[in-house]
Amino acid sequence: MNAISRIATGVARGLLLERQAEFWLGQVAPTRSLAQLRARVEEVVDETADVKTFRLRPNGRWSGHQAGQFTTVELEIDGVRTRRCYSISSAPGRLPAITVKRKPGGVVSGWMHAHLRRGDVIGLGLAAGDFVLPAVLPQKLLFLTGGSGITPAMSMLLDLGRRAPAADIVLVHHARSADDVIFRGALAALAARAGGPRVVLCSDDGSSGLGPFDEARLALLVPDFARRESWVCGPPGLMERVQSMWEAAGIAGSLRQERFTLAPPRAVTGGKTTRIRLAHAGRSFVAGPGTLLEQLEQAGAKPVSGCRMGICRTCKVRKVSGAVEDLRTGAVSGAADEDVQPCISVARSDLELSL
Amino acid sequence: MIEESRKLSPAEEDAFGKELDVLRDEAFGSLGQADVDHIRGVVRLARRAEAGGRALLHLGLDPVTFLAGAGALGVSKILENMEIGHNVIHGQYDWTKDPALEGAGYEWDIVCPAEGWRRSHNFEHHTFTNILGKDRDVGYLVLRVSADQPWHPAYLLQPVSAVLLALMFEWGLGLHDMRFDDLFRARSLGEAREALKGLVERGRPFLSKAARLCAKDYLLFPALALANAPRVLAGNVLANVIRNVWGFSVIFCGHFPAGVRVYAEEACEGESRGAWYARQLNGSANIEGGKLLHLMTGHLSHQIEHHLFPDLPAARYPGLAPKVRAICERYGQRYSTGSMPRQLASVARQILRNAFPGGGKPIRDIAAENPPLGRMSAAAA
Repeated sequence: MNAISRIATGVARGLLLERQAEFWLGQVAPTRSLAQLRARVEEVVDETADVKTFRLRPNGRWSGHQAGQFTTVELEIDGVRTRRCYSISSAPGRLPAITVKRKPGGVVSGWMHAHLRRGDVIGLGLAAGDFVLPAVLPQKLLFLTGGSGITPAMSMLLDLGRRAPAADIVLVHHARSADDVIFRGALAALAARAGGPRVVLCSDDGSSGLGPFDEARLALLVPDFARRESWVCGPPGLMERVQSMWEAAGIAGSLRQERFTLAPPRAVTGGKTTRIRLAHAGRSFVAGPGTLLEQLEQAGAKPVSGCRMGICRTCKVRKVSGAVEDLRTGAVSGAADEDVQPCISVARSDLELSL
Repeated sequence: MIEESRKLSPAEEDAFGKELDVLRDEAFGSLGQADVDHIRGVVRLARRAEAGGRALLHLGLDPVTFLAGAGALGVSKILENMEIGHNVIHGQYDWTKDPALEGAGYEWDIVCPAEGWRRSHNFEHHTFTNILGKDRDVGYLVLRVSADQPWHPAYLLQPVSAVLLALMFEWGLGLHDMRFDDLFRARSLGEAREALKGLVERGRPFLSKAARLCAKDYLLFPALALANAPRVLAGNVLANVIRNVWGFSVIFCGHFPAGVRVYAEEACEGESRGAWYARQLNGSANIEGGKLLHLMTGHLSHQIEHHLFPDLPAARYPGLAPKVRAICERYGQRYSTGSMPRQLASVARQILRNAFPGGGKPIRDIAAENPPLGRMSAAAA
């Protein structure tokens, strides 16, 4: 059967019948495709007032995921294909699920909450990312999460439950309030199991028992934190404080991080205006504040983009000349003819881009 | 209707251009789901017409299903080439970021490869529209459609060659994009060698694509029909001819009816955006008709709007047309339009009259005071 479909695909391609084949495949079943990874929404679960989980059934092109990885969803919003990256919150081997918090003013998350229903078909990217568990599992683990940063940790906790039932696991999760804790029921169920993780819930308003993140309290709650392999994922403020704490303890090497949002770019120093030239479009504009991707969008260059945090490389463009700063690392690169990721770059000189 | 566009001052040209830019920006700013739904609907229609047409050809035995099948297949090819292919290749749907609607990757069901077309049509024809010597689409270099093209005895045969071109239009476009004329223009051995190299470079994709399409329509599908092979072969030929004649008619109505202007190369040097708009307007003609006609022409029935805004989804042109026309009215610019029979008759007269020498007014004089070289003179005059 596979050989027959391969030959048929080859003939269709050779005789320019590929588009017809793709069309009729899609008519048979909307997730079927010769080339695209697509998924049907199997189930939509309300987790909290502003968080939903979308359980997805991908077509045969999906190759599974490791706990902690993310996928790129492609949605059509008012006619325009738009991509975003979301951590997979389900266990490896299960259907991938993404858990999406509706961000205020967020075009994509807002659209998903309002329009994405069971039975809808969306585009999907292969699972990617290195915020994962090591091949040889450590015996002592610590997860520090904030808000929707729980999503990759949830996948890892579920995975650990099966792969390392004897491991000593602590999860310290931070939310705005007890009602905003995502997976509250699932976490309680995990914690109740014999040998399950110790789950500590903290909230900004203290409604879950403990208050917001505090270094001293964390050291009291988890006195052996320095001897644990640690994973942190959450808002930039939490991530920075945890990183500083680990650096101060001289154990930065044991901390793995996953960023969902970037710290806002610093203003261009010197107040000098920089110009961005688009070589193919034959025009240029003055750069304002914000990332290079935002600049290109504001200038109407309609760049393709994905995660907007420097991981999926969808927005990659060739920089012909000029210097950009990588917002994640602060590194400035002025090399000619190099690929840059506009979503995590800011112009540090006049730029010429191959757009 | 304004019969002859008046000369615009540079300030008027700028204002004219700005008004059209505003229309353009409004239209681009309002693109959305409805535009994508439209083109996907046309894709669905084309695919279903193709499947239905092929089924009728393969399974039927009588002449009625033969004509219906070839007709449906012809219609699907017309939709695929015009509303889908031509418009998608223009990049009209690039903003959707749907790979299936991306101009740079689209290959259409016509022997002329999309790659060469993107250069010869999207760039050359749409940039140098109706400039003699630069726009190779004026009469497709084989027909004398304007008295401004120098006469040659070979043009005496053009009533016949025009009919042949109509019947084999897709091959005409493919050969046209091969640019054999580069070889004849070579003035030295080196230039000839360069031209020959270019021919080989373009020839390979053209021959490869033509072979694949011929294998599809004239080998694979007839073979699948077993005993019905001759009927399917004949039906596929007929469908391609239907598409060819229709495509030829629409495109010739768009640029070659009487009254449409041609331009001298030097007159367009350093032209402003407004002057470019004016040339696009005065070098194009619309066809009046209903929604079905607009769809079947890929909205090239709005050739004027297409030439003003070539990368705007074509289904938007009918909505823009009254506004464009009102602007033209205010600036004293001719907005050439007419029914399909009228425009076709005008094209036929042009082809017949220009087969013979002369036929023009003293056009060089017009060129001296007016940037346009002249207009396609009414052949009867």
